[in-house]
Amino acid sequence: MLSHIPDAIELVDYIDDGEQARHYQFRLVNINKPSEKNTNNNTAKHHWQDAQPGQFFMLNVPSIGEAAFTFTEPPNEQGEFRALIRQMGKLTTTLFTLPKGDILGARGPFGRGWPLEKINKKNIIIIAGGCGLAPLVNLIDSLIDNLTASQQLVLIYGAQNKQAQLLTTERERWQQHIKIYNSLDEINDQYTLVENESQGTPLDIVDIALATFIKPATTALLCGPEIMMNSAAKKLVDNGIASDDIFLAIERRMHCAIGLCGHCYLNERYVCKNGPTFSWQELQ
Amino acid sequence: MEIYHLDDLSLLQQHLLAQYQLYQVVKNDDKQCSWQQQTKERNEPLIAELPQSSAKDFFFAEHENLLIFNGEYFQETLPTPAPFVLFGILSCDLTAISYQDQFFKDDPYYQARRQQCLLVGLDCIKPCQQGFCPTVDAGPGVREHTADIILHPLENHQWLLISTNDKGTEAIKGLSLKTCHWHFLTQRDLTLHQCEQEFTDDSDITQAIDKLNNGEVSDSFWQQLAVQCLGCSGCTTLCPTCSCYGTRSITDESEDKKVITQQRFWDSCLYEGFQREASFHNPSAEAGKRVQRFWQHKFGNEFFAEFNRHGCVGCGRCEQTCPGVIGVHSVMKRINNNA
Repeated sequence: MLSHIPDAIELVDYIDDGEQARHYQFRLVNINKPSEKNTNNNTAKHHWQDAQPGQFFMLNVPSIGEAAFTFTEPPNEQGEFRALIRQMGKLTTTLFTLPKGDILGARGPFGRGWPLEKINKKNIIIIAGGCGLAPLVNLIDSLIDNLTASQQLVLIYGAQNKQAQLLTTERERWQQHIKIYNSLDEINDQYTLVENESQGTPLDIVDIALATFIKPATTALLCGPEIMMNSAAKKLVDNGIASDDIFLAIERRMHCAIGLCGHCYLNERYVCKNGPTFSWQELQ
Repeated sequence: MEIYHLDDLSLLQQHLLAQYQLYQVVKNDDKQCSWQQQTKERNEPLIAELPQSSAKDFFFAEHENLLIFNGEYFQETLPTPAPFVLFGILSCDLTAISYQDQFFKDDPYYQARRQQCLLVGLDCIKPCQQGFCPTVDAGPGVREHTADIILHPLENHQWLLISTNDKGTEAIKGLSLKTCHWHFLTQRDLTLHQCEQEFTDDSDITQAIDKLNNGEVSDSFWQQLAVQCLGCSGCTTLCPTCSCYGTRSITDESEDKKVITQQRFWDSCLYEGFQREASFHNPSAEAGKRVQRFWQHKFGNEFFAEFNRHGCVGCGRCEQTCPGVIGVHSVMKRINNNA
């Protein structure tokens, strides 16, 4: 049977990042693995250690409800995990008022994450917009750790303006190992663009980024506003990347995350169950 | 399969009432039919009429508690219904339950109710006004895999009783019944075949299903059609296969403790805000897209492949309830004529 019941988690800590966004650190109150025989309240109901990059969890803010968020760090052996959360609606606004130590709930991990077997050792272009960089954090870290001499990884990160940029620390860390292009939709007159920064959208930099590759990019990972991803995918196909090597992480409203409530439909599929990662080919 | 002759239907009703809570379709004073609980003292006659609401609420409750949170941990609140029987449920609604059984096969709340239920199906031997069950393989005769017991009316208030599985056989244990000759099954087939012939021409529906699946229905057609959708959720509420739901939290705060309950409730994919996200991004902001998806879900080949049948069981309730005249017959006719 599917479980609708969250495991209790403690809100351990948070730090601000960018405009109205925070890195939250949570800890599972009980980290014993679930078993059929032992289903009391001291046992985790979900298989947290199985979390893969790009998968998500349902955060339960009691008195408000549940919403889907991705892991920036999946649960470790102590049951600690992190998520980057932007204050947007009722649930996140309430979350932002909660003190450290509060008990909340979480269910997961859910969905189909990034296709690791198709990404491994490939030349990869990553295009992310705004909060869309969050589901890629964990993956980029592990790709950098395992980068081979002949492999190239390039990231284009777009944000509306300088204040809206997220994950600055991470991007600075990655910059030591991979090429990163940053785009800003809006800049004010006084602002001077720094190296690898340009005004516009990520789409404006795709050609430049692709030209960076010594051997052509063969795989693309996209996450951000759907309209941006769709345009980027078309552009990448035009540049010779196969549609089944372009992967998009799709966002949808969700109430169950287990393929029942219907809210996250995408044609005949459910994003929670069949996604959130889809190849561009699957979406045609 | 076991076949019996039943002289007196009330014997079966009384027998089942000793083991189950028994629900049956009853015609009210305002001529509307609805599911009502029967007692040993008060037994209404069995009627083959479609109730205004299907039986889905018996398994997938209109609203129900999923869990409670006591401040420390979350606890499941599974329903614990007494054993019950849906007595005289028609083939279209049974087919819908079979469809929902597949969809909710791993949902503990649905299954907690479903496991407690005995389904006694009733063959329709006359077409109903809005129904088109033969077109979508959902009637008029009860499909064996959808019921535990099937009742088929014979002449002189006699009945053919077919037990289709162990659950059905167990339920009629102890009831004095005469085994029936198999030729009554042939007679049943003939009667049902005759009934199928009496349904009005359904070519509009079959042709429209083909057009829908061949990509011949334009976006502008759906947009035009959607002007008449008031987003009232009448169709999705009455549709026996619709299963979308939302969730909400309810806080109960007393002097010394606070308990939070999470509920789920029927939702509708035709509501403007159904897919709207906290950021106000709304993938189905256009009414035409929502209406298109609703009908694609009922008749699209992609869903047929998953469930081995259409999502529509031909009950016609959407046509009856829609204030904007975009129920199934109207939509399919317009697809044929204008799309």
